[in-house]
Amino acid sequence: MLESYLPILVFLAIALGVGVIALLLNFLVAPRNPDPEKLSPYESGFEAFEDARLRFDVRYYLVAILFIVFDLEIAFFFPWAVVLDELGATGFVAMAIFLGILVVGFIYEWKKGALEWE
Amino acid sequence: MDLPVWIADYALPVAWITVQIVALVAPLMLAVAYLTVVERKLIGYMQLRVGPNRVGPRGWLQPIADGLKLLLKESIFPTQANKGVYIVAPLLSIGPALLAWAVIPFGPTYQTPFGEVTPVIAEVDVSLLFLLAVTSFGIYGVIMAGWAANSKYAIIGSMRAGAQMISYEIAMGFALIGVIMAANTLNIGEIVVAQSGGFWHWYFLPLLPLFVVFFISGVAETNRLPFDVSEGESEIVAGFHVEYAGMTFALFFLAEYANMILVSILTALLFLGGWHPPLPVAPFTWIPGPVWLLLKTALFLFFFLWFRATFPRFRYDQIMRLGWKVFIPVTLVWITVIGVANLTPLRAVFH
Amino acid sequence: MAVTQAIFYLFATVLVVAALMVITARNPVHSVLFLVLSFVNGAGLFLLAGAEFLAFTLILVYVGAVMVLFLFVLMMLDINLQRMREGFLNYLPLGAVIAFVLVVEMGAMLAAGGSGAVVGGDGALGGTEAGNTTLLGRVLYDTYLLPFEVAALVLLVALVAAIALTLRHRPDVKKQDPGQQVRVRREDRVRLVDMPTEGAPYAPDTGATGSKGGEG
Repeated sequence: MLESYLPILVFLAIALGVGVIALLLNFLVAPRNPDPEKLSPYESGFEAFEDARLRFDVRYYLVAILFIVFDLEIAFFFPWAVVLDELGATGFVAMAIFLGILVVGFIYEWKKGALEWE
Repeated sequence: MDLPVWIADYALPVAWITVQIVALVAPLMLAVAYLTVVERKLIGYMQLRVGPNRVGPRGWLQPIADGLKLLLKESIFPTQANKGVYIVAPLLSIGPALLAWAVIPFGPTYQTPFGEVTPVIAEVDVSLLFLLAVTSFGIYGVIMAGWAANSKYAIIGSMRAGAQMISYEIAMGFALIGVIMAANTLNIGEIVVAQSGGFWHWYFLPLLPLFVVFFISGVAETNRLPFDVSEGESEIVAGFHVEYAGMTFALFFLAEYANMILVSILTALLFLGGWHPPLPVAPFTWIPGPVWLLLKTALFLFFFLWFRATFPRFRYDQIMRLGWKVFIPVTLVWITVIGVANLTPLRAVFH
Repeated sequence: MAVTQAIFYLFATVLVVAALMVITARNPVHSVLFLVLSFVNGAGLFLLAGAEFLAFTLILVYVGAVMVLFLFVLMMLDINLQRMREGFLNYLPLGAVIAFVLVVEMGAMLAAGGSGAVVGGDGALGGTEAGNTTLLGRVLYDTYLLPFEVAALVLLVALVAAIALTLRHRPDVKKQDPGQQVRVRREDRVRLVDMPTEGAPYAPDTGATGSKGGEG
């Protein structure tokens, strides 16, 4: 099994290498004339005011939490889908209960308005 | 360790793998370059313009000129930027976008005098899982770029892109589960083999809702129009990569187009029978499998460009609504349908 | 085998160094990124131990989801680094106790069954002929059915708790309800008013027929 991952290790090195080489090449051939105006954050020509790292709506945070829950759910689905035929009706019922519980959660968040983006 | 043994055992295989990878990445980069020309030409014709036609015959050298120009342009490092993260972000965008191609099979297993040869870089048994894991890195390039640049437009764009990408990743994951339920394997090559026979064996028919959800989620994942609120040039200029210039910008650009091609080839492999001809009879089977695969990929790439020329940009609440309130319920219902059908004689439809 | 050993030590070293950077980095965003790096190397170690599914799920769930949440939180809060560092020493005793317990537990694990191979093992599921994911699927929805369903309940609790903690409705916000938009009938929006013409027609000399004003 491990042999099949050797190409991936090599590929990882090349994939990152492509980016690094491109940046290095750019660094070598491109001009560098920094000046304070050029290096100031772009704000449609206005002077940048206050820090850019502003506070965001807590809704983004909620989306990320909901994503974790559903991502885990998907992770539980993968082995099940692979052995679906071996498991037969038992496996179907097992997953139906699992999915049922999570659909309850999904309906709850829907009804609570957690999926509304205001 | 004996040196010749070491060379035969490790150096030669690694060199051979490197050759294979270069043989994949170089055409991929070329495809990305020409996708940009095709995009501009195609959208030009759709809008009754001619598109780029100055550089080279009929403008076909345009991407070379673009690439050279980006290479020769100054990369800007804003004073308030967090330098380390600012440089790593484009690498984290292009890295996964290329690495994902390691498990994409381009054709069936061929019998050659040297044994069986499969046109894929890494024959991983759980290639679909690998692909999901690798593509989930893409979001880091976006978020880190926005955060590191320390610019308001960038940070707004990256937050939007982040929340959008994770929302559509769920719909995409559920759509993939439907495919796995039908094929009972996580190996992309085996999923294609499971669709052999005429086009009525391809998964886009029995899994039609999942097929639609998967491709549209793919468009949203790559932040392409009409889901490009993360770039939204009319409001936040260029979104997360507003401060990037020169090669640092080019890497984001390459990653975006490589991901477009990746989504297209994946849709072709998982739902449109991959390298199988539409009818398993004479005139169709003369064309080799990889050509069919590339034709199907080109079809989906055309959809990408067609969408861009056709649809106005979605509003952000509409994007989130589509992902959470339409796509996820649709996929859940269809997974249940497959699960129930699998216990009845109807299961033949899905297998 | 020597190469796999070397790769193991590579992953392990990067993992440990990255983990150290997580707790020493001054900037919390750097900490999160180092944590991502250590997860990736952890996944590499899982892969070496023959646990394919676990390796990719670790990346998918922790790197792809949990760390994204961390980044969102860090980007959302204006964290005052100076103030956070002040309480560092106060937490040291508690941290030391937890670290000690962890070390003892890990030592016990190694003492109990640490003789197995570090790399290339077949895993506790036995055999590699069917693939890691398949083997996991065979036992997870059968032998470990109860923990599996309990996991669903845990996820449900997490979902409800997250909504209870973070959901705030903004009172003065305008939004569309697409369902309502689609249900709208013409009668709700447009009222046709029949206006009879007054007096003589507009062009009396031509003797034109009646006006069309009623369509209105």
